[in-house]
Amino acid sequence: MKSLRNIMNKIAPVFEEKGKLEKLYPLWEAIDVGIFNSNKKTNIGPHIRDSVDIKRVMIMVVFALLPLYIFGAINIGVQSGIAQNVSQTWNQNFVIGIKILLPIFLVTFITGGLWEVIFASVRKHDINEGFFVTGFLIPLIVPPTIPLWQVAVATTFGVVIGKEIFGGTGYNIFNPALTARAFIFFAYPGAISGDKVWVSGVDGYSGATGLSIPAAVEGGNAKALLDGVTQFDYSWWNMFVGWIPGSIGETSKILILLAGLFLILTKIASWRIMAGGLLGLFATAWLTNSLSSYSTNTMLSLPPEYHLVMGGFLFGLVFMATDPVSAAQTNKGRWIYGFCIGAMTIIIRSINPAYPEGTMLAILFMNAFSPLIDYFVVKGNIKKRMVRYAK
Amino acid sequence: MSHIEIKKGHNIRITGIPSEEIRNAKIPTSLSIQPKEFKSIKPKLMVKEGDSVSIGSPLFFDKNNPNIKWASPGCGEVKEIKFGPRRVIENIIIELAKEEEAVIQESFEASAIKSLGREKVLQCILDGHLFPMIRQRPFNKIANPDQAPDAIFISAVNTAPLSVNLEIAMKDRLSSFQAGIDALSQLTEGKMFLTTKKYSIFSDMQHCEINTISELHPAGNVGIQIHHISPLKPKKIIWTVDVNHVAILGDLFLTGSYQPAMIASVAGPGVLNPSHVKTRIGASISSLLDNQLADGNSRIISGDVLTGSHSSLNEFLGYYDSSISVLSESDEREFLGWLKPGSGKTRYSLTRAFFGQGKQAFPFSTILNGGKRALVPVDAWENVLPMDIMPIALFRSILACDIEEMEQLGMIECDPEDFALCAFACPSKIELSAVIQQGLDILEAEG
Repeated sequence: MKSLRNIMNKIAPVFEEKGKLEKLYPLWEAIDVGIFNSNKKTNIGPHIRDSVDIKRVMIMVVFALLPLYIFGAINIGVQSGIAQNVSQTWNQNFVIGIKILLPIFLVTFITGGLWEVIFASVRKHDINEGFFVTGFLIPLIVPPTIPLWQVAVATTFGVVIGKEIFGGTGYNIFNPALTARAFIFFAYPGAISGDKVWVSGVDGYSGATGLSIPAAVEGGNAKALLDGVTQFDYSWWNMFVGWIPGSIGETSKILILLAGLFLILTKIASWRIMAGGLLGLFATAWLTNSLSSYSTNTMLSLPPEYHLVMGGFLFGLVFMATDPVSAAQTNKGRWIYGFCIGAMTIIIRSINPAYPEGTMLAILFMNAFSPLIDYFVVKGNIKKRMVRYAK
Repeated sequence: MSHIEIKKGHNIRITGIPSEEIRNAKIPTSLSIQPKEFKSIKPKLMVKEGDSVSIGSPLFFDKNNPNIKWASPGCGEVKEIKFGPRRVIENIIIELAKEEEAVIQESFEASAIKSLGREKVLQCILDGHLFPMIRQRPFNKIANPDQAPDAIFISAVNTAPLSVNLEIAMKDRLSSFQAGIDALSQLTEGKMFLTTKKYSIFSDMQHCEINTISELHPAGNVGIQIHHISPLKPKKIIWTVDVNHVAILGDLFLTGSYQPAMIASVAGPGVLNPSHVKTRIGASISSLLDNQLADGNSRIISGDVLTGSHSSLNEFLGYYDSSISVLSESDEREFLGWLKPGSGKTRYSLTRAFFGQGKQAFPFSTILNGGKRALVPVDAWENVLPMDIMPIALFRSILACDIEEMEQLGMIECDPEDFALCAFACPSKIELSAVIQQGLDILEAEG
């Protein structure tokens, strides 16, 4: 490692002040501290600092996402096999999946990375690690059938409009990865709205997604309808394990739950947001269930435990809603924020006929409201103090 | 008497904890008082280079409040007065004489002290030129003798990393300490609070209200104790005195003279034999660190590693400091360190999830462990701040210079030392202590 360090020390002056490539210093800085930990020192008290920095926080989220990548790749192959009615080995499934997932991943990272370097160079700050997680999230929330140019356009939108115009990681209002997905959702609804399944490998293949089945029928029983599907296995257990068509990383609920547990234990994601979200989902679903007999809307009768394992709710709750920057930042606020995400997801799914899935919109909507929630929580703290001061 | 349970906080597992042994430091040849370290005073010199001074004779006073003078901690000759930019008095250095003499004033029987009355006590402390030992909250500056405080707080728990173990340091000075409490308790019409750990040598002190507190840093900070026992509010003034200074003030009443002895800790990963040392106020750092430095490339800190200030072998122990901490200025760069979040050294927040509050100690160095980033609110601050304060909201209001909101969010209850642990734990490496100081400065300037 010493020789590598020596080579890097020789290259460094090119990027430093008055060097030939001075403008690209942020890129060099990112590579430099990416390979060897920074040797910056404290100059005022506290003289010692914990070893956790944003890089280490972000890498923990990436660790949590890696199992979903592997499962996602295999599942792409599995679903493609089901659609073509051929049986394939695990290895074949994995290879089929990787061939689809890898290009999406590379396009995301190259596009997003490019924007990060441009913005860091122009603004003369270090390259933020935030994109690292965004870049890992985007391939997991798009369907395997997505055209690569859409990935590039969406990543650009997510990074530039969702984050950089506000000042970069830490200043953004919306979760950049979700902003990217929302962009495809509204710009190219045919590709991503979620009415029809996304299965790669067969042109023009068509089938209904779990959520669109009850939405399409009036006056039925959602659970019975799902169990009646023969094309895919939409039983509760299978949806929980994840062998269903869907966006690449969102299908395996059990892996997402384990990842969520990991993020809670490492204190990176807020357990309050997740608990609030589950509470909101269950409470609202129970409410719609109890009202379902008064309406012909079949979605109202979908039980909460089905809502939980269908669509992108758990993935969104664990990885997107808990984004510490765009979520509420006070503990009380986090409960409210999480609860509203769960509740709104059910409302969009059940009552809005246009969109079968509502998690993304619910999270983006609550992102917009989180500063307001925090405002009231802070005011509450102030009020309590003012009462004490007045005594 | 009640017990305050502190749950939020963290005891940093750093190597070089001072042993219980009390060594005798090399006898210093020079001492110093550094006027620059006292906030919001205008020092005016009362001596010039070459003058001879005794222990307790005044060196300078505060132009804002001419009653407040600073006593010389040693007897000898004023060797040098160092000026900084714009003729700020940085340092008054006294070369010690072989035989030292002290200024003697009126002394009292131990039993008589508690009935002297506020005027008499105040006069004795001012005449002994030791009033700067009394500081006030808010703003943590030297108290105003004309304004009686609503309460006086003494923290007899040191939870800061590598700090002096007061149970050892004060073992033989309890009678002086009691005399100090007797005297100080007359300065307020409110209560005199002493906070100790659960089983402590201070548990039998008289004429004060004793509370106990958990030993989880920052519980030992007097600001945290005030917050939990008798919180500050606008127009409320609380005086605070360090334990060592209480004993010195006690001695002033018992003997009539300034006895500037103290026990300090010399500790940290960069010290060969971390222990307690017998020394005196304003001692030169070189006398304390004689043959103790493990490595030439190290940072010497007067005070603890969280709140202390940069120092060097040519400088002196700070007036309010009772420890010298030494850290290595390491330049080592770990290969792909960010990929190993579980194996890294000196880890606080993430490993806590996996390994609990382990026992292993780490040789922290002065490395920042990252670069400065925008705030990513993962509750790193909240988890180590045992106060009913919203640190993020306060931080934002300070950056925005929103004075009204700062006040509403409890700015006056805050002190940088209470937020040092937040800055330690912050993954974005935000200098929160400095920002809190900035907020206090803004508030103080506004009046």
